[in-house]
Amino acid sequence: MGPKEIDWNKLTAIIAKHKKEKWGLIPLLQEIQELIGYIPPEAIEPVAEALNIYPSEVQGVVTFYSGFSLHPKGKAVVKVCRGTACHVKGSRSILKLMKKELDLEEGETSPDYQFTLETVACLGACFLAPTMMVNRDYFGKLSPTKVTTVLGQYSKDKGEQ
Amino acid sequence: MPVATVGLCVVEDEKTGRVMASCVTPVVSEMSVRTDTPRVKIHRKNILRLMIAEHPESCVVCSKGNRCQLRQLAAQLGIGETHLYPMPNYKTLEQANPFIIRDLSKCVLCGKCIRADHELVVVGAIDYNLRGFKSRPSTIHDRGLEHSSCTFCGTCLSMCPTGALSPNNPGYTATPERESFSICGFCGVGCGLAMGYTNSRIVEVNPANRPDTVNRATLCVRGHFAHDFLNTHERLLQPMIRQHTGSDENTMAPASWDAAIDVVAGRLLEIKSKNGSQSVAFLGSSKCTNEENYLFQKIARALLKTNNVDNGSYLSGRHVINLLEKRTNGLSRLSPLDWLEKAQAVFVLGADPGHSTPVVSYYLKRASKKGVPLVVADSIRTDLAAFSSAWLDVSTQSDFEGSYIELLNGLAALLYEKKAHDAHYIKQFTEGFKQYSDDLSTLDREQVSLATGIDVGVLNATAELLKGKKIAFVIGSGILQQRFGMQTMEAVINLSLMTGSLGSEGAGIHILAKENNQVGAQDMGAVPDALPGRQPLYNDSDRNRWEQFWQTEISPQSGLNMIQMIEAAEKGNLKGLYILGENPLRSLPQPDRVRKALAKLDFIVVQDILNTETVQIADVVLPGAAFSEKGGSFTNMEGRIQSFDPVVPPPGDAHPDWEILGSLAAKLGDPNQYASLGHIRDEIRIRVPMYKALDRHNHTAWVAVGDHRQSDKDTKKTKTMVSFSPVVPGDIDIGDELSTTDYPFTAIMVSVRYHCGSGTRTGCSDRILKLGLRGEIELSPQDGETLSIRDGDTVRVVSSSGAIKRQVRFNKRLRQGTISIPLAFNGNDAMNLLAMTQPDMPDSPGWKTCRVKLEKI
Ligand code: SF4
Ligand code: SF4
Ligand code: SF4
Ligand code: FES
Ligand code: FES
Repeated sequence: MGPKEIDWNKLTAIIAKHKKEKWGLIPLLQEIQELIGYIPPEAIEPVAEALNIYPSEVQGVVTFYSGFSLHPKGKAVVKVCRGTACHVKGSRSILKLMKKELDLEEGETSPDYQFTLETVACLGACFLAPTMMVNRDYFGKLSPTKVTTVLGQYSKDKGEQ
Repeated sequence: MPVATVGLCVVEDEKTGRVMASCVTPVVSEMSVRTDTPRVKIHRKNILRLMIAEHPESCVVCSKGNRCQLRQLAAQLGIGETHLYPMPNYKTLEQANPFIIRDLSKCVLCGKCIRADHELVVVGAIDYNLRGFKSRPSTIHDRGLEHSSCTFCGTCLSMCPTGALSPNNPGYTATPERESFSICGFCGVGCGLAMGYTNSRIVEVNPANRPDTVNRATLCVRGHFAHDFLNTHERLLQPMIRQHTGSDENTMAPASWDAAIDVVAGRLLEIKSKNGSQSVAFLGSSKCTNEENYLFQKIARALLKTNNVDNGSYLSGRHVINLLEKRTNGLSRLSPLDWLEKAQAVFVLGADPGHSTPVVSYYLKRASKKGVPLVVADSIRTDLAAFSSAWLDVSTQSDFEGSYIELLNGLAALLYEKKAHDAHYIKQFTEGFKQYSDDLSTLDREQVSLATGIDVGVLNATAELLKGKKIAFVIGSGILQQRFGMQTMEAVINLSLMTGSLGSEGAGIHILAKENNQVGAQDMGAVPDALPGRQPLYNDSDRNRWEQFWQTEISPQSGLNMIQMIEAAEKGNLKGLYILGENPLRSLPQPDRVRKALAKLDFIVVQDILNTETVQIADVVLPGAAFSEKGGSFTNMEGRIQSFDPVVPPPGDAHPDWEILGSLAAKLGDPNQYASLGHIRDEIRIRVPMYKALDRHNHTAWVAVGDHRQSDKDTKKTKTMVSFSPVVPGDIDIGDELSTTDYPFTAIMVSVRYHCGSGTRTGCSDRILKLGLRGEIELSPQDGETLSIRDGDTVRVVSSSGAIKRQVRFNKRLRQGTISIPLAFNGNDAMNLLAMTQPDMPDSPGWKTCRVKLEKI
């Protein structure tokens, strides 16, 4: 299974919606990121043309904000917190375990586009340390068993679809 | 606007002791800062130490050398060792293109390159990419510059304070020994250059970056990198005389200057006495200086008694420019480019400055960014279209060149209907408005839309945009060289008058000049029909003054223009030709025909700097000097007279051209001795009212505006009444049109920014050649499909005059039925397709387009 197909019709519609908008770039990129899960590099030039700005500027914005990505990501994006509180509570071994379980390094996406592994500085839930986030869900007070269960839950999704 | 990227500008607040970046800290009242307290110094030192620790070791062989601001600051702040753990930030070194090496490991992220690219040349090829330690200026998709929209203007390179961006200069990788000011010798913008040289060799060129130059901190790829031709092997180094070694054999033999000048003077006088003064002609140069052109035409008129003088500006639509000059009494001579950024609206017609005169395109794009509405009309979509408020895609049907006239008249009619004419101005300064406005009222806008291929709604919106504004016009070769250039210019003048634009600041008529001194060559009288100062030959009082001054008789009859010279040679009426810095075998249509015609001449002298096609057929060759090897002045397209001194001496035994012409004049019996440039300049200043501001110093001067006869007595130049001309319809019957079945395509001749004119000089520039451009013709993919031609195929392009072979590239933006053919490639072979006609004659199809068919091979 590859990354999600790019729906060019929808993408073109989003671009058209924001055409010539003065501060349209960030909302436009957010919509694309939402729709496709990343910003396809091929979309940069059409976006720039619609907003009458340079493609290099669009790229600059995409690569500046961590909320945007130029690469397709997995269906489940796992963000392991590496902030201070989590570190004290052993997030290093959580990350190690995660790498082993998923067979991924930080920033990598599995070949079947199921998982992407990332780290973040602080998830803002230090009272639950160590923490991680999968897509929009938080998981706290992690232990090796809990990690395996959560991962299992997301791998199971694979079977269903 | 400062952007606070580097942090070396820290200062200390006297009261609070806070250290802050001066560039982004707003000034408040009672504020008092210190710039060199010990704390500030420590901060600066630390920032710099970090920067240096991040720098690679290749610093020691960096071509920025001691010009690197990082090294300069380190020296000033006394940083030798950083005492930090070196942590060079290696990034890929990019040097695939022949112009710019990017070694971003040396980048300090100051952002100057990005600002140069966005704010000065307005290209947008690069911007910051990524964050933090990985951050760097990058192209889209992080590919090489050659795969981006970069035009290789090199403006970012000259701005970069470190060695992150450096010139790709295989011949020389250090700081030039010295630097001198000069003026670019390519196009008519006339950019100020800082030419770096070592051992009498130009090794690097940068923008002069002086406030009194037209380009300030910018340049284009030609100005920056194409001056390689100065050092080519093709330079002429000594005078040569053709020796007849057998009945049919001859060779070129080196000669002394005395011998060569003797032969030239002797032969020209001999031909004149045998065949009359009409049997010699002088083809001067739109690339030589004002001083040289002045002397050249004086030699022709005063010493050989002929008006057979012309220069390359004839090829660039001089007849259209003459019309403008005459109709407006010289009011439009002055057109500073910085007016464009102050304009209320700009109308760009048939002009692609991004290629022909790149610095003009920077002005236009900056104006657009500032909010000046740009109306762009062309038959091929240019770079400017993206910056325009109205893009008018003029149709390319068979007789489309008339559609510019329809367009201008149509817009005028709409403006008149909206009562957007400047009644006050019209009453005060113009004549003939009644007739004009009556004509306009009869125009049918559906018809206009049909003829131009532009939607009525778009025309209306454009008129709305222009309503109530004074308009600046930018006119390019799409008007100047086309069949109906004069009629179109009349329509431009009408629109300019009607909107009250002509003669006011910010509303000039800017004529793009392709050659650096085409304006000056014309001003100096290197033309068959006028004397220096644009004084027409037929005007008795002007002519008499020059007759008295030169102690000679001057015929009121115009001499031969460039094309007539060739025709006269064909007929055997012309016997001797003196060619100064022109290459007619490359720049004129039907080169074979030109070659045959010139072969009939008894005597050809060629004075040039390069071993051109034309040099090969000369009887005497005189090696001249390039602009950087002599002093003098050029007049640019704005009417700015720019003086310069030699940067380096001419190579070998070559001489400055004014010196050569001075010795020839003396040999021909001129009583004036032109021993120095100053003598020539004094004469010009005193005798040519247009150039009264030219002095012996190297100031920038401006040509005097308006008719000298009036300005002498009456300084209120606007008192001159300018009349409207009658509306002519665009569907002028041309009669001789070729059948569209035999020749179904309209070929448009276009310039590319890597070459200048016919490419004689840029074709000798190493780095331009290394780019490996092939000059593909462009074709719409639909037409390609119909003809079963694929992108990349080679085709034969055939016109009624000749044929060429080229590769094809698809361009989605071309209309069907249109192809574009870049000039200056393959010895400028595109000229084979054009018919040799006099562009100022009513039956000439012009030089901008021709009908062709395509054959697959
Ligand atoms: S060379 Fe010119 S066009 Fe290219 S990136 Fe630099 S400033 Fe921009
Ligand atoms: S490449 Fe040069 S000009 Fe551009 S940000 Fe880096 S140091 Fe500054
Ligand atoms: S070629 Fe023209 S635009 Fe380019 S640097 Fe020279 S004068 Fe300027
Ligand atoms: S440090 Fe982990 S949630 Fe705050
Ligand atoms: S922070 Fe002020 S110039 Fe760099």
